[in-house]
Amino acid sequence: MAQQPAIEPMHQFLIEKIWQGPVFQLGGLNVDMSITNSVASMLAGALMLMAFFALTARGEIVPNRGQALAESLYNIVDRVLVTPIIGHGGRPYVPYLFTLFCVILVLNLMSVVLSVGHLAGQDWTFAVTSQLAVTATLAVLTFFSILALGFIKHGPKFLGLFWVPGMGIAGGAAMVVIEMISYFVRPVTLAMRLFGNILGGHVVMSLFGSFVIALAIVGLSGGLASLAFIPSVLSFSMIVALSGLELVVAVLQAFVFTALATVYLNEVVNFGHGH
Amino acid sequence: MQTETHEGTAAEGHGSAGGLPQFDFAQWPGQIAWFLIMFFAVLAFMRFFAVPKVGGTIEAREGKIAGDIADARRMKDEADAQAAAAAAEAAQARAGAQRVAAEARAKAQAEIAARLAEEEAKLAATGAAAEARIATARAAAMVNVAGIGAETAGAIIEKLTGKKATAAELAAARG
Repeated sequence: MAQQPAIEPMHQFLIEKIWQGPVFQLGGLNVDMSITNSVASMLAGALMLMAFFALTARGEIVPNRGQALAESLYNIVDRVLVTPIIGHGGRPYVPYLFTLFCVILVLNLMSVVLSVGHLAGQDWTFAVTSQLAVTATLAVLTFFSILALGFIKHGPKFLGLFWVPGMGIAGGAAMVVIEMISYFVRPVTLAMRLFGNILGGHVVMSLFGSFVIALAIVGLSGGLASLAFIPSVLSFSMIVALSGLELVVAVLQAFVFTALATVYLNEVVNFGHGH
Repeated sequence: MQTETHEGTAAEGHGSAGGLPQFDFAQWPGQIAWFLIMFFAVLAFMRFFAVPKVGGTIEAREGKIAGDIADARRMKDEADAQAAAAAAEAAQARAGAQRVAAEARAKAQAEIAARLAEEEAKLAATGAAAEARIATARAAAMVNVAGIGAETAGAIIEKLTGKKATAAELAAARG
């Protein structure tokens, strides 16, 4: 049992420096601009995303497969989310929501599809969206942009969002507190949902992956221990099944994040129409 | 819960602060800075290239399809109108042909009737002339018969009586 590798499902989330970059001081914080495995993955994702659209956005009336895929992705944001939820007033925000969707999607998918393990001593398949720093940045950026947009478009009247009519003064005041809590918890849930889903999936996959190896090593010692090959193979089939599930989760979480952002944006764009 | 005990060892093994690597806040500022750079680069790319291009293509296609359908509908309407016009023309031509045929038939029948009447009149005239000639001939013949009778009667009287009867006596005797 001494040669058995340690089961370290969290190891895959460790930030490792690839190249030491400059370090800035910003408000007492050390902003280390080093290229880490996380940064390299997100840059690779961005490059793949831009390369994909640069190659597929051909503007043909009859699209080929690549263009059809690009248009399908666009229609998920435009025709499935923005147009039905917000309506025509949502048009100016399509680029932001589409970027949100595509960035989360490519980072999620990369972490599942490209899980080829270690290469040249470096873990190249870093799950960027399992980093709370990243999901929190996305959530805070999206939430506060929408909130700021609300005040820019509607001024102080936008505070009326928290006022529930027909409750009287005291009841209304109590509801304002509840409404504000439920409103400002949104970025937290946005960040935690994505982070938790990707983190959980990768932990489980890593655990089953460790079981495959660990149990196979036990089985190699022969005799009755050979029975350990059975759970080893079962663990492997679990990885196959989980990979399928994680692909669904990867797409679904990108969609959910974008859908919620669209719903939140709708409150701002159509403020006063639905109340 | 199993994972939590392992994550501790994993983190310790790599000299981290312990707990989830994601809560190592020293790693946050750099990741956030890079993520924002990446995100806004992609946003600019989407805003100025991908969205106008892809969205524009979809709209252009829908416009083209709508335009093509409208064109096709207009052409079909035109074709229908032309078909209706052609049918009306054909009906008119058929009616015209029928009218011409009827006219021709009526004219032919009238001509036939006229010719028939003409021929009948001619025949009647010829018949009348023949009858007149017959009457004249008979009258002439009757005169001759009367002369022959008188002569015969004169000869008979002369034979019986021995004397000639005068013409006046013969005429009176014939009554």
